[in-house]
Order: sequence, then C-alpha cells, then structure tokens
Amino acid sequence: MNDVKMETMSEKDMRRVAVRQAIVKGLVKFGVYAFLIIMALIVLFPFYWMINSSLKTLDEYRMSVPTFWPHKVMISNYASAYKTANLGKLFVNTVIVGVVSTILSLIITVLSAFAFARLEFKGKDMLFAGLLATMMIPGELFTITNYGTVTQLGWTNTYTVLIVPFLVSVFYIYLLRQNFLQIPNELYLAAKVDGTSDLKYLWRVMIPLALPTLISITILKMMGAWNSYIWPRLVANDAAHRLITNGLRNAFTETTGDVNYPVQMAAVALVSLPLFLVFVFLRKYIMQGVSRSGTKG
Amino acid sequence: MVNSKHQWKAWIYLAPAIAVLLVFTVWPIFNTVRMAFLENYSGLEATNGATFSFGVGNFVKVLKYKRFISCLKNTMILCVLTVPISTILALLIAVGLNSIKPLQKILQTIFFLPYVTNSIAIGMVFAAMFNIVGAFYGTENELIVTAGIINNVIEFFGGTPVNWINYGSQYSANIAVMTVYIVWNALPFKILVLLGGLQSINKQYYDAARVDGSSRRRIFARITVPLLSPMLAYVVITGFIGGFKEYTSIVGIFGENMGPADDAGRLNTMVGFIYDSLSTNSQGRASAAALILFGIILVVTLLNLYVSKKKVHY
Amino acid sequence: MKVVLENVTKRFPNRDKKIKTEVTAVNNVSFTIPDGKLIGLLGPSGCGKSTTLFMICGLHKITEGKIFFGEDDVTNLSPENRGVGLVFQNYALYPHMTVKQNIMFPMENFKGEDKLTKEQMLERTMQVAKLVQLDGLLERKPSELSGGQQQRVAIARALVKMPRVLLLDEPLSNLDARLRLQTREEIRRIQRETKITTVFVTHDQEEAMSISDEIVVMKDGVVQQMGVPQTVYQDPANLFVAKFLGTPPINVFTGKVSGGALYIGAEKIMATPGVADQDVYVGIRPEGFVVSDNGCLTCDFRQVETMGGFMSVVSTHENSENPIIRSTVTDDIKIAEDAKTVKFDIKPNKIYIFNKETEERIRIEG
Repeated sequence: MNDVKMETMSEKDMRRVAVRQAIVKGLVKFGVYAFLIIMALIVLFPFYWMINSSLKTLDEYRMSVPTFWPHKVMISNYASAYKTANLGKLFVNTVIVGVVSTILSLIITVLSAFAFARLEFKGKDMLFAGLLATMMIPGELFTITNYGTVTQLGWTNTYTVLIVPFLVSVFYIYLLRQNFLQIPNELYLAAKVDGTSDLKYLWRVMIPLALPTLISITILKMMGAWNSYIWPRLVANDAAHRLITNGLRNAFTETTGDVNYPVQMAAVALVSLPLFLVFVFLRKYIMQGVSRSGTKG
Repeated sequence: MVNSKHQWKAWIYLAPAIAVLLVFTVWPIFNTVRMAFLENYSGLEATNGATFSFGVGNFVKVLKYKRFISCLKNTMILCVLTVPISTILALLIAVGLNSIKPLQKILQTIFFLPYVTNSIAIGMVFAAMFNIVGAFYGTENELIVTAGIINNVIEFFGGTPVNWINYGSQYSANIAVMTVYIVWNALPFKILVLLGGLQSINKQYYDAARVDGSSRRRIFARITVPLLSPMLAYVVITGFIGGFKEYTSIVGIFGENMGPADDAGRLNTMVGFIYDSLSTNSQGRASAAALILFGIILVVTLLNLYVSKKKVHY
Repeated sequence: MKVVLENVTKRFPNRDKKIKTEVTAVNNVSFTIPDGKLIGLLGPSGCGKSTTLFMICGLHKITEGKIFFGEDDVTNLSPENRGVGLVFQNYALYPHMTVKQNIMFPMENFKGEDKLTKEQMLERTMQVAKLVQLDGLLERKPSELSGGQQQRVAIARALVKMPRVLLLDEPLSNLDARLRLQTREEIRRIQRETKITTVFVTHDQEEAMSISDEIVVMKDGVVQQMGVPQTVYQDPANLFVAKFLGTPPINVFTGKVSGGALYIGAEKIMATPGVADQDVYVGIRPEGFVVSDNGCLTCDFRQVETMGGFMSVVSTHENSENPIIRSTVTDDIKIAEDAKTVKFDIKPNKIYIFNKETEERIRIEG
C-alpha cells in the first residue's frame, strides 16, 4: 500500500484493559438496575400508598409520623367505602354501559371494516380518507353539538346517551380493516367459488383470524367505559345512571368538611381493582392495542 | 378486490356506522363551526326562537377573556413541562429495560401499570399524598385534618413542608404536583412504544458499533436515538395532543374546583374552559374555543412533523 | 498479529427452554492464524464457523478455552477493546448515516494515543474509500447503494480503523455470482496491500480455496483439517473433507481391501501394501480418471458432456455412492456413442481410501 500510510491500532496492556472493562461493565449494570428499580418503586408507590392508607383507621392516617403498614387493619373501610359511594349501583351501571356498547360497537366495526377491506363500491377511498381525517379533530369539538343533540332527543339521563354517541370509532375500523387486508384475498375468492355468503365468510374466516385485534378493541372499549368521566357527567349525572368514575369523584367532593381519607382510598382501590384484574389476565392484548392507539380508552 | 355487482350491499354493511357518524361526528363539525360564527350563540336561547347574527365576535371575546388566557397558559405550561420530561424518562427507562435480561418482564409490567388506572381515582391518591400537614381550609379553630406522605418525607429529611394543593398554595406548587402526576400517567404509553421500537432495531447495528469500539453513550446518541427517531416523533406528537387536551387529571387532584380551595379555576385548561362555557349554555363561545384548540393542535402537529422530517432519520 | 485459539468451546442453552441440555456449537477448537495471513473458515451451515468468528470478535462469550491476539489473552475482553474489524453478512451499515459517516464512525471512537483529528479522519476515509473504490459515493446513504457497493462500504468501515484482526462473516453471500467473483478478488487484493490478519467465513469451498492462504474446514463444531488450500484438497484427512472440497465433487465408491490390494466390486484397482483387510470408502477425484481400453475400473457409460474448456464423462457404477460418476478429461477422447461401458485407469495421487466406520483416511505406505 504505497499511498496509504496507516498504522494498525496501538496495543494496550490487555490485562489492565480487561480488568477495567469488567469493572465498568459491572458498574453500568448496577447503575441500570438501580435506576430501573428506583423508577419502578416510584411508579408503584401510589398503589402501595393507596392500599396502605385504605386499611388504616382515620386516627392512624392522621398521625404526623406516617406508618408504612397499618397497626390495626381496617378491612371495614372497604365496606363503608362501598356504602358511602354506592359503588354497587355504580358498578352495575358501568358494566351495563360497557358490555352493551362493546357488543354493539364490535358489530358495527366488523361490518364496516369488512366493507372497506373486501367490498367494492363507488367512493370507497374517498369515504375512508374522510373518516380518517375526522380522527384529527379533538373530541370536545363534537361534544358541544352532541350535548345539544342528545338534549333535543330527550336522551339525557338514560343509558342510551352513554352508549350510542360513541358506538363508532374510526380508529377501530381502521385497525380492523388493516387486519382484514392482511388476510389473503384468495381465501375470499375461494369462498365465493364455493358459494359461501359474505356474512358466513366474515363469521367463519375473517373474525377468527382477526380475533386478537377484536379482543384488544373489546378491552380498550371496556376500559373506556370504566374511565369515562366528562361525557357522563355532562349528560347522565343522575343517581340511576351515574358511572363509576363520576360517582367516585362525586361521593368524596359532595361531602363537605371532614374527609375520611382511608375510606376514600378504599373506594379508589375498589374502583381500580377490576382494571388490575383485566390487566393481569389480558396484558398481552392490552399492550398490543395500546401501542397502536396512542389514546386512553 | 372483488367487483361486486351489488354495490348496495356494501352500503348496508356500512349503514349503522354511517348513521351514527353522520349524527355524532359529521353534523357536529358543521354545527360547531356554525355556532362559533354566530354572535353570542346560546343553545337555550336558540330553542326559545332567538336568532343570531354572523360574525367573529365569539373568537374575539374568547381571546380577550382573562380566564381563557389563563386556561391557555396552564395548558401550555403543562405541555411544555410534561412532554419533554416524560419522553426523556421514558426513553431512559426503555433503553434500560431493553438492555437487561433478568427482571425485564416484571419491570416492564410494573411500568405499564399506571396505564390501567382511572386517572380520576389515582388522582385522588396523589392528592392525598401531596396533602399538607395542617389546616385544610385555612379557617381558624379548624381540625388538623390530614398528613400527606410527601410532606412527611420532606420533613424527615429536614425540609419545610410545602403547601402543595391546599388552601393558600402557590401556583408553582400546584403546577409541580400536576407535572408529577401527568408524567406518571404518561410514562407507560411512551415506554411501551419506545421499547417496541428499540426491540425492532436490528441487533447487528449494536454489534457493529461495539466492534467499532463505541462507548455506551455514543451508541445511545449516534445509533439508538437516530434509529428510534420515528418512534420518538410519534411519542412527542401524541404527547402534545394529549397535553393540549389535559383535563381529567386536574379534576382527579383538585376536584371540579380546578384549583385550590381559595382560587377555583386557577388550573383550568382549554378543555375545561370549553365545558364551562357549555354548562352555561354559551355554545358559541365553547365552539370558538374548541376551534382554537383544534387550530393549536393542528399547528403543533404540523410543526412537529416538519421538525421531525428534518431530524427523523430515514 | 497472530491469533491463537486454544481448546475453544461454545455451548448455547437449548432454544427450546424446556430442554435443559445445552447445544455445543463449537467443540474444543484449537488453531493458530499466522500473522498477516488470510484464513478461510469453511464448512456447511451450522458447523460453528460463524460462532467461531464471533468468539474471535468478542461478540460471543467463550464457554471454555482461550483466545490470544499475539501474546495477549483476549478471552474475556469485549469487542470494543480487542481492536478488531468485522464485516457482517448483511453489512449492518447504519441506515441513517451517509457512506462517509459510516466509514468515519469507528475512528471517532478512538481514545488516547489513537485519537485522530478531524482532518486525519477525513484523509484516512478518503484513502480507504479509494482503496475499496468508493470515492464518488461518499455522500450517499446505504439505501441508495447497490449490494456490491454496500459490501465495499462495510469492508471500508472495518478497515478504516486499521484493526489488528479483520473478520468477515460470509461477506459475499448476498451478491450475485459475477459480483461475488469480482469482490473476492478485491478482498484478496486489499488484504495483500494492508497485510492485516484476516479471517474469512464462508460455506463456499471454491471461494475459500481461491482467496485463502490457509483454510480451516469445520464440521459439527469440530475442526476437520487445516492447511494450505491445495494441500488440503490433495491430501484430505477424512471423507468429509474430501467430499466438501472440489467441483465437481469427488466420486465415492464402496470397496474393500483384501490381501494387500484395493477392490471395487470384483475389479482390483491398486495395490495397498501394509493396509489391513477391511471394508473401505474409496474416493476418486474427477480429474483422477483416465479413459483407457485396458482400464482397471469398468463403469456403465451414460454420456459425454462438454463444459467450456473441458469434457466430462458421465457414467454409473453399482458400487458408487453418488448416483452418477463424473470424470473430467481435458484431451479429446473417443467413446462410441452407443458404448455400453467405459474403462478407466486411476491416477494414484487422486485416489484416497477411508475407513468405513470412522471415515478417517487410510494412508498407503510408499
């Protein structure tokens, strides 16, 4: 190599390098774990504090030196929380709204996604693009008019008002359509040749293949009902139809004066519990759905 | 694609979705714009037969409104604080998670937990944690009602307790609490997306960089961040959109007061302003505010996209 | 810098986590790579050659044994501290960097006495780019390059830091046939010019034979034979090596040694003084056949194929392990088209016999 004047890399004291490398590696590993575990503890702390507080007597809770596990475990806080916030009725309301709206929403979503993925009709692409464009608009913009609409329809303080306006999610249609598109068209053609009807094909082939997406949608929809706050407060804030989040917030702001925090924390824990159970058993689907959605509920 | 002779069939499949969308999505778009441009439009008066003239008065009024400016300021401050903090923290946690083997699954699950919570419910827990030791309403002869763990910890380390959220608290303290809570709430989604992105980066790039003798910091800055830039852009954009729509987390901590007991509405946000206007039947004002919110989100999104187009690699 | 592998073993946990036993990918491998030479690590896929390379590189930890660079024990050193350059099978070029940035990247990591100024880095980049003939493409992104160009960038990136050892993992497998031929000549030229100790992993024996100073043939994680390509070809240590090297491949027959002579079927092929009576495999290189009316091996004639410069006689034999016997002959030979059989003489240096059980080579004295 005439024109290239280069020297190979310098040789170092290999033993010293090896020792240094082992130390650095160990320190980095320790640092990473320390950081992650500290962050994890910070993330977990509110949950721990919720449980801890919910099991204390009011007097113990007020002690100026906090206790990290209750001296006297007050399971009874949960009973009074249940009673104070009328959680039973709230649970029932939320489950009714959640289940009905999920089922109806799934049916509508599947039908539309199928039409967009497999059927041919004039204006399909334009319609789909138009739908996608509405996803950019913040929901509040719709709410203003919808509030008036449901009032005029006389839907206020009914289950209907909690279910119908949110039945169609453009995002879910989009998600499912993408999933349907991945299923080879040949399957559809083969089914047509065999004389299978569209609906039967949808039911027997498409839905089983898109099941994970459908499960994700179901969970997100249920979580949405569980966490919805603004709309229910606006249009169905009567005791008969009140949903869980709203009821929880109301139960502890309506009481003036002395707030019984342990009971409040017990109520919060009770409200959080179902979500945790769903999470524990269906973590995979939730994470799958969430990573694609970017929205809560 | 099958060329169906029966086009009407497709429309039957779409009918339920279109019906709902027409009433609750398409019509509101037009109607909200209409209401925004009708001077002082009020739903209540409209049903009583009142008519309104066309004009931009709603927008002018909203922008002159002190409370709206305060809401806008709160929203901006929270956005500017929480989006960078949560993105950087999420990036560090995701990179950390991606580099370990033992405990990875369990830590990943823990970091996702805040996602499956009710932001009102856990807001109440945070409120309890940030409570003060002392009087709640500031009135004389009042019971000493609560003890918040955060102030206990501050005292334990010899600091003076801070009035975070109660009667007489400082604005900056309020914002600090909101920032902590919103970041805590925003982490799971960001970690999930970024970790997913990290795991899809070809491991060979890291092998190559290691063989080339890159330090960890250089690998992070020169390989990880650029290759993750599409995911980072996504997380930042959704973070800003979410930030501009902040509302329930504040209700969770401060209640519908949207502020400490002595200064209700101090922490109100743009969305809160829209609902307040709605509840006083000032649909015109609410619509104008909603359109302004939409405009801001649009501008920020486009700005983000423009910046990331320049910065996002490949 | 010479590289020494001493009883190197690599065991992986089983991919199926329920199975507790480990998989041995590399088993007790020892060899020495002389300073400044190009070594071809050769073997079928799954033989442990890439694993061996990654252990030399430091990306895989060694289960047992030691690796030395010169006199230095680098066994526990991580790759960044070994001063090696690695070219990946699919290049692993950073997609977000231009060619120039890709090539400069390794130099920017230099510390201490190796540290370079920006100008030095640029100068070196230009030199290496010229060496691999990439001069005009420095501002492009990898996605805008052809496979061969990407390959050269990868080599440039590995070369630019003047590594003590250059490692190439199947670098030509993603190129088309013509480019492969051209690039392997280029690698050979670059290695000769830089004199960097180089290890080249491939499953293509022709490739390895054509550019390596020495080849190491591996199978099932064990080194079968090491040596100068021509020697290994002419003097294979066992049946596997004999079969793995050479195109067209060696013809294998079952035969037996009886009374100091080798028989295929009933025909006596050659004298084998000093070899005990036993069943054997007989390997005959295609170029070891000479058509002769008085030949010692009679095969059923099929056809004559003309392939470019030489001709090959295709025939069959009931004792042949291969479905057909292919023998290459350079001269014009005359075999009647309707001939039933063809007789061959065998060149004594092109025939090998192997133990039937161990498949090890049986050497004939004299």
